[in-house]
Formats: sequence, C-alpha cells, structure tokens
Amino acid sequence: MITHQLALVRREIWEHRSLYITPAVVGLIMILTLFTAFVFASGYQEIVDLGIVGAQSLAGDLERRAALLAVLVGNTAPFMFAGAILTIFYSLDCLYAERKNKSILFWRSLPITDAETVISKLLTNLIAIPVIAFVVIVITHLVILAMISVFVSIQGGSSMFLIWKSAPLLDVWVGMFLVTILLPVWFSPLIGWFLFVSGWTKRSPLLMAFLPLMLVPTLEYWVLRTHLIWDAIQSRFDQLPLFKGIDPETLFNERELVASADAISLLAYVDIGSFLASPQMWAGVVVCGLFVTAAIYVRRYRDES
Amino acid sequence: MSSLVTARNVSKSFGNVRAVDNVSFDIEKGKIMGLFGPNGAGKTTLLKAVLGLTDCDGSLSVLGLDPFKQRKELMKNICFIADVAVLPGWIKVSQLLDFMESTHPNFSRPRAEDLLSRTKVRKDAKVRELSKGMVTQLHLSIITAIDAKLLVLDEPTLGLDIIFRKEFYSNLLNDYFDGERTILITTHQVEEIENLMTDIMFINDGRILLDSSMEALPQTFTELTTSGENADRARQLGPLWERDVFGKKVMTFEGVDPNKLEGLGEPHTPSVADLFVAKVKGAAA
Repeated sequence: MITHQLALVRREIWEHRSLYITPAVVGLIMILTLFTAFVFASGYQEIVDLGIVGAQSLAGDLERRAALLAVLVGNTAPFMFAGAILTIFYSLDCLYAERKNKSILFWRSLPITDAETVISKLLTNLIAIPVIAFVVIVITHLVILAMISVFVSIQGGSSMFLIWKSAPLLDVWVGMFLVTILLPVWFSPLIGWFLFVSGWTKRSPLLMAFLPLMLVPTLEYWVLRTHLIWDAIQSRFDQLPLFKGIDPETLFNERELVASADAISLLAYVDIGSFLASPQMWAGVVVCGLFVTAAIYVRRYRDES
Repeated sequence: MSSLVTARNVSKSFGNVRAVDNVSFDIEKGKIMGLFGPNGAGKTTLLKAVLGLTDCDGSLSVLGLDPFKQRKELMKNICFIADVAVLPGWIKVSQLLDFMESTHPNFSRPRAEDLLSRTKVRKDAKVRELSKGMVTQLHLSIITAIDAKLLVLDEPTLGLDIIFRKEFYSNLLNDYFDGERTILITTHQVEEIENLMTDIMFINDGRILLDSSMEALPQTFTELTTSGENADRARQLGPLWERDVFGKKVMTFEGVDPNKLEGLGEPHTPSVADLFVAKVKGAAA
C-alpha cells in the first residue's frame, strides 16, 4: 500500500513537472531580484555603509531578529500564492488528462485500484506540493541570507553576528512547515471538489469547477433567500483558525519595539490547537472525503470509450 | 482442461441496446482464442467485462475471480493491450519500467529490458517521441515481461504497417506464448492470426454465432466453388451464404455431409474471413 502510494505520487511528479519547476522559478526570481537590488545599491556605497554601521552599533538584537523574521516570512508569500495556483491547476488536470490522452485504460490494466489512484492524487495535493514548496523555500532562504552576508561583509559588517546569529531560521522553518502542510488541509474541501470535477467533466474543467461555485450560491439565494453555501465558501478564506491574533501593543510601545525574543517568532503565532479543535476544519475534511469518494466512484463506474 | 474464463448468460445493456445478450462460453488454459465481430457487435463490451472494466449481468468468472469486484487481484494475472489503452506520451521508457517494477508484483524488469534491447526503443526516450510501431513494441515488451495467465488483445496492431504487424505476432508467439499462458484476441485483420489461433468465436448483435476450435472447422464447414446446374443442386442443400467469384458461385455450408457435395464442384475449407462473412450474413438473412 505505502510502496504503491510512493510510486503513484512519484508518477504524478513525473507527469506534472510544474510541481517542482514552478516553485523553483519563483525562488530563482526572488534571488535574482535581490541580486539586482544589491548591484543597484552598491552604487550608493556611502549611504549603505552608514546604514550597516548604524545597524551594527545602534539596532539591538531584537530589532535585527524582527527585521530578518519579516524578510524570511515575507519571502514565502509568493511561494504560497504559486502553491495555491499549482494546486488548482494540478487538481483539475490530474483525473482529466488521463481520460483525454486515453492512458486511463493503460493505468487501469495494472493491479492498482481506482481508490489507490485517486488517493495518490489527493496526497500529491496535500503532501507533495507543500513539501516541495517547503524545500524550495528553505533553499531560497539560505541563498538569500548568504547573499545578504556577502553584501554585509563587503560593506565591512560582520555577517555572522548581524545575519546568521540574528536570523530565527529554525523558528521560521518549523512554523513555515506547519503552515504549508496545514493550509491545504484547510482548503481540502475545495481540493476534493476540484478532483471530483477533474474526474467527472467531459470538457473545460476550469470552467466546470468555478461556474458552480458562483451559480449554486446564486440559485440558493433566488430560491431560498439564504446564503449558506456562499458563507461556507467565504469562510474558507476569512476564518482560517491557524494563527493567533497579533496584538500590536505587546510588540510596540509608541514606536519602540518592546517585544521579548519569544514574541518575535512565527511559531508563536501558529495556533495548532485551535486549528485541530476547529469544527470548520473537520467539516471541510469530511466534505473533501465525500468529493474524493465521488471521484473514485466516477473513475470506477463510468465507461466512456 | 481447466477453464480460465467462464461466462454464463452474461448480458450488458446500455439503455435499450443490449450490447452483450445472454452470452455463455469458456476459454480454456493454453488456448489462443480469436474473437471476431463487426463493429458494434459487442466485442469490446465483452472484453471490458472480462477485464473488470465494466459490470455485467449473469455470471462471469475469470481466473476464478469476479472481474469487476476483484479487479486489482485479477490484474496481477491479466494483461491487456487495446488500441484505446494508450501509453501516456509524457512518460519516459525508464520511468515506465520503474513504475511497473514498483506496482506490479509479477513484472520482471530484466526480462523487459532484454526484450527492449532487441528493439530500437531507447530507455531515455519519452513515449511521445516514439513511432506508433515502437510504442506497440514497448507495450508488448512490458506485457510479455509480466508473468500473467491471461493476455487480452483488443485490436493490438491497429494502425501499424505490415512489418510491425508480422513482428508483433511472431514476438507474441515466441516470447509470450508458452502453452501455459492463454490469449484472447480481437482484430479486424483476421488473416494475420488465422494460423495462430487454436479457438475461434464469432459475435454479432451481442450474441455468439460460432464458438469452435480451429481443428473442428473443416469438419463443420465446407466451401464449394461451383457453377451452372451443379449450383442449383448445391443450393438445395441449404448453403449458409452464396457469393459470386469470377462468374462462379461460391457457397458456404454448415454441417452438410461432404459426400453430398461430391461431384457438385470443388470443396475446400473456408478461410476464417469468408466463414465470418458467411455466418454474419447468413444469420442476418
């Protein structure tokens, strides 16, 4: 079972090379952008020199830690965005392409059940895409910090002291790992819906996936004058129970940073407890399970050729 | 002889159309069974039922398993090549071998590599870069490397040129078939497998028209080339079908004593293709 799943997920990565090419391209763009910025900044040596000296002598450990935390966490936003787009396109393609290119009968000629196949496509969404993105995030972080170090050293600063000792790497990485793994779980009802559409539709999966998301709530409002479905969809986007609220008062007093080192942390704001205790999260997982079951059923029982 | 496939009163309907209509047959171990029928006769539906790709009414047992309910178990011991079961274009040959090795318990990678080394298929090539003939070679090599009890071939050589077709069947016989394994095959190119088959089955409108061993055909069917008065006399013996060839009459008889045909013309055993037409036309008449 596990070796089957590994082989099946590996097959998905072979087929959809965008799963690793996209995050790699995003990382490369960020690295190149930073490089360009450094080349540009080196034209203003004196000003930057002053800045470095200023940072070294004036700013405290906490300020540097906070600044680097912001850089590292901020850097991951494009990856999250790219991951979301990838998930949508991969999910919509994975059960559609095999029918379109007629390879489905070849795959079904092997001793693998339809459930195993569909589950491998779900696992690609829930595990492979986040883990690949996470690995690329870590590599990008290391390259970016190395480039900043070189820049700081050239300007006469101590990169070991200014950068590597101040960067809360472990904290950011553990926090980021949890976020990248748990976000797809939160959005799993949508992933399940996309998989079902991918396995069921005869044409244009993108349209067939998004049109009902608009039409069904509209219909509900016309007929029943309620908006339960729309609320359910909307709540996926504005009620993610994964982060604690940040109270600026605990961080700043007037314009001074007063937070303790513990508070300058990504992990401190990731709230696994409330995520796991969220009925909405579990309801979403159940909805995902229903859609995935439907996708398995369609692959097994529908005879198209 | 043990029966690998046992079908009793198997039916399958699509809406009002009965694609397979109350069909019963057996396929015994070690046989090469040819299944023929015009387009839309129900061949593919029947094969799909045997492969567990579609459910059906009646009782169907393949290798002692219910094909639809126990498809995964069944697929360990069955392979199939169908013109509609295409290898995906994006996969590399080496990846395909990796995948087979990790998912198929009866797949022998060394055997597949040995078979592939006799072809021009490169291991680092993607399937979409190969010609149709090479893709079929690749598919057959993979299938042959599976230690399977039953091989189902549905139009395996469709769209291939004559050289690849000949090679396909000679490889099939030399590398795959060992008397222990069983083959169920459909094709429109009847002549090409005529000498290969041990058993034959005709199907039309979802019903079986003929189910016979190849050996028994000459005893049951006679084709008579005749003309003039002899033709009229022969016609009274109730030929299945009659056609004109170069001004002469060619009649196909079923179950008629050859002695009765003596002196009425030249008797001989009909080719499978002619027999097929005779049975289908005769059944329609």
